Amino acid sequence: MPDPRAGMKTPARIGLLVAACLIMAAPFLWMATTSLMSQLEVFSSGRLLPENPLWSNYPDALTAQPFARYFLNSLVFAAAVVAGQVATATTAGYAFARLDFPGRDRLFMLFLATMMVPAVIILIPRFLMIDALGWIDSYQGLISTELVSVWGIFLMRQYFRTLPHELEDAARVDGAGPLRIFWSVGLPLAKPAVATLALFAFIDAWKNFLWPLLVTRSMEMRVVEVGIAAFHSTYEINWPYQMAAGVVAVLPIALLFLFTQRYFVRGIQLEGIR
Amino acid sequence: MRGRGKDAAVRGWAAAAFAAGAGMTVMVAVGAVGGVGDRATENGARVAAALYEVQGVTDSDVARLLDGRVEMVPVREDPAAPGDRIRREEVAGPGAYAYEAGSLEPSAWISVTPDNRGRGWPWIPTILALPGLLLISAWALARHPSPPPPRYPATIALLSATLLALVAATARQWSHAELEDLGAAHLARGLRAAEIALAAGADPGSAARAAGLPWATVTSLDTPDQLWTMPREVGAAIASTPGLRTAPTYTVEAGGATYYGGSIALAPPTTPGPPTPDGPASAPDTLHLVFLGYEETASPTVPLAASALASALLVSLVLFLLPLSARPRSLRRTLAAWGFLAPAAFLLIVFTFGPLLFSLWISLHEWHLVDPAHPFTGLANYRDLLADGSWWSAIRNTAVFTLHVPLAMAVALALALLTRGSRRAVRWARLALFLPGITSVVAIAVVWKWLLNDGYGLVNRALEGVGLDSVPWLTSPDTALASLMMISAWMVVGYQMVVFQAGLAAIPRDWYDAARVDGAGPLQRFRHITLPGLRHTLFFVLVTSVIGSFQVFGLVYVMTEGGPLGATDVAVYHIYREAWEFLRFGNAAAMSWILFAVVFAATWLHFRFLEGKSAHA
Repeated sequence: MPDPRAGMKTPARIGLLVAACLIMAAPFLWMATTSLMSQLEVFSSGRLLPENPLWSNYPDALTAQPFARYFLNSLVFAAAVVAGQVATATTAGYAFARLDFPGRDRLFMLFLATMMVPAVIILIPRFLMIDALGWIDSYQGLISTELVSVWGIFLMRQYFRTLPHELEDAARVDGAGPLRIFWSVGLPLAKPAVATLALFAFIDAWKNFLWPLLVTRSMEMRVVEVGIAAFHSTYEINWPYQMAAGVVAVLPIALLFLFTQRYFVRGIQLEGIR
Repeated sequence: MRGRGKDAAVRGWAAAAFAAGAGMTVMVAVGAVGGVGDRATENGARVAAALYEVQGVTDSDVARLLDGRVEMVPVREDPAAPGDRIRREEVAGPGAYAYEAGSLEPSAWISVTPDNRGRGWPWIPTILALPGLLLISAWALARHPSPPPPRYPATIALLSATLLALVAATARQWSHAELEDLGAAHLARGLRAAEIALAAGADPGSAARAAGLPWATVTSLDTPDQLWTMPREVGAAIASTPGLRTAPTYTVEAGGATYYGGSIALAPPTTPGPPTPDGPASAPDTLHLVFLGYEETASPTVPLAASALASALLVSLVLFLLPLSARPRSLRRTLAAWGFLAPAAFLLIVFTFGPLLFSLWISLHEWHLVDPAHPFTGLANYRDLLADGSWWSAIRNTAVFTLHVPLAMAVALALALLTRGSRRAVRWARLALFLPGITSVVAIAVVWKWLLNDGYGLVNRALEGVGLDSVPWLTSPDTALASLMMISAWMVVGYQMVVFQAGLAAIPRDWYDAARVDGAGPLQRFRHITLPGLRHTLFFVLVTSVIGSFQVFGLVYVMTEGGPLGATDVAVYHIYREAWEFLRFGNAAAMSWILFAVVFAATWLHFRFLEGKSAHA
């Protein structure tokens, strides 16, 4: 389908783009086809597609370990992180963008500076703290350290700064306090940025591997990422099972992305153009 | 009139700060004293656990030695999580300590209930109270009209008191750690003295006492038939008991056989009696069990330092608020703003800034997860790391791994240029391009491990299909890191492309038209318009991607576990193993600071470079 504006090189362009997409998608396609093969087929034939799709791989793999529980844990973890990060980032972002207090910009720079700190440096003390609190292998241990995101604060501040002042001024004239103005004027206007932040927080929490790996011990507390890694080492050579588990892990994020693309792209662009 | 009122306010502030400082000092002192008793009991419980490993020791012996109540609790399974043993806190109850006695049949917890010397500090309520109080006072102050009501000082005083309580609790915790280190150092010295004396045929007990351990006693045990039926095993059990690692094991030659003697550190009784005179010098076939104790009255310097620090903080807080209190409107605004910032600031202080300092502190100690003594070693961890070849090879691997970033950026830029101006194509291609970057890293690592499988992976099959040799992608030290780089590039390309698209869209179209009029070809336009126009975007992507790639972990953990032959042992994976496999937290913390220094230097150089470029443009 040639695009009239793109000029004469369009067919070559589209060909290149399709090739690039195929390369990018190939591992996922291979994951899907392998997940439907029998274990024998994987090692013997050179086939790309399974002869008879073996759908039973899915229920078998997903019940070999408590994947339902893993998903529930991931969901609880990600939901709590989203709620926490939205609450902390909107309030702090609003303060940095709209409220005037001494040392504001220096404090903001200090917050931003933490984005340069490699996460691994605070992993050890965080682990010792969570251990001292007795929160290892619990939801509160998993969640509590992840409730604030400096990136989120940055995003919300940038967004609040782009909003016009008039509505807030009107509310102030009506005698509303800062909290009320934030809640009934600022926050509703910032909904698109909140959506972007929530989406990124959710994905980051869902993808988070190292921290859940450290603070969870029992099977009952594992999140999907840790569950897949454990599943991988248990079923080392059963590639169809592993691929089935992989498909199930990738699918929710792929679907989420399909329906929320524009928030993603906006987030990345807001981040890129400072 | 106004000036005098202000003077009175200043005097009031000063008095409040003074009173608060004095109160804090008292609280810190009380906390520190309570801590010593606490710690002594905990050590005692560990000693008891070790003592029970020695045959012939009865409950009443242990109870007498520890000056507390000793109980044996059989180990139970946790009904809520089958397979897990119940936690030791559940056995011991508040204020008591429990240790597992592994070799007893059936294995049991030893629970020691101390005579109520140490009280735990209510940590959680204190921590929870602080932000709550901040919020309440911010709210209250924000609501009051402009002439400041007399409630201001009261509110600030309340705030300060909470802050102080928090500082005091922290200081108390620190004094624990410090006393423990002191004790460990004492014990090591005494043991060494006893050891030397024993080797020289002198009396180990008096040597240890001379070394500053007034409670050192030596018990002579008959060998080998009666008590030490399995001396090696008993010695090893004592040596491997958590909490006794600071007491090194020594061997005794007796009757032609080598016996392992355990040296047990023992907490002193509350009322120290006169030192017991010990037996005659050792007969050749007598085994010595040296009981050492140390005096826990060392003055904690950390609480004093903490008091000074907290006072300084308090004074600066007051000095900060003082000018504002003259202008109530701006004080109200400031407090309101801090109310908004409180949740984020609190979490950042507790889980980011605090841990940063804590991590630095850990890196200066020999910090082992299961060993309660964390002796201060200064920069020894860093010094050792300088000579640690495996750590530097991990840093080198990380740096090499980072080289995939420019490659990925080139591809991403090409893709961004390719899809320029055609929104439909982009939207259509986005899912395929983007999915690798946003989805489960572990699942991706697993599928690539399968794709790159030596004998059966799709990639090698394809190579063989076209008549080429298969490549040992992940199983040869020469190719494994390159394979990971390739996968990582594949993962980040989509994200980089979207950023580049945003950057390209910001370059004005007229520039290109003008260049075309001047007769510039596509390459020249790219060189002189696109690249300079994208400079900021390029640097942003470079910096964020480099920082990200310095922290690669999931791929390595799942695909290669640092192998083969350490070829993919990257920094974060190395730190992970040092801390969570070898439990050497001090070392691992030092490593993470070195990594930070490397990342920081790289980022700083980038920014310098970027700024230099912008200045010229």
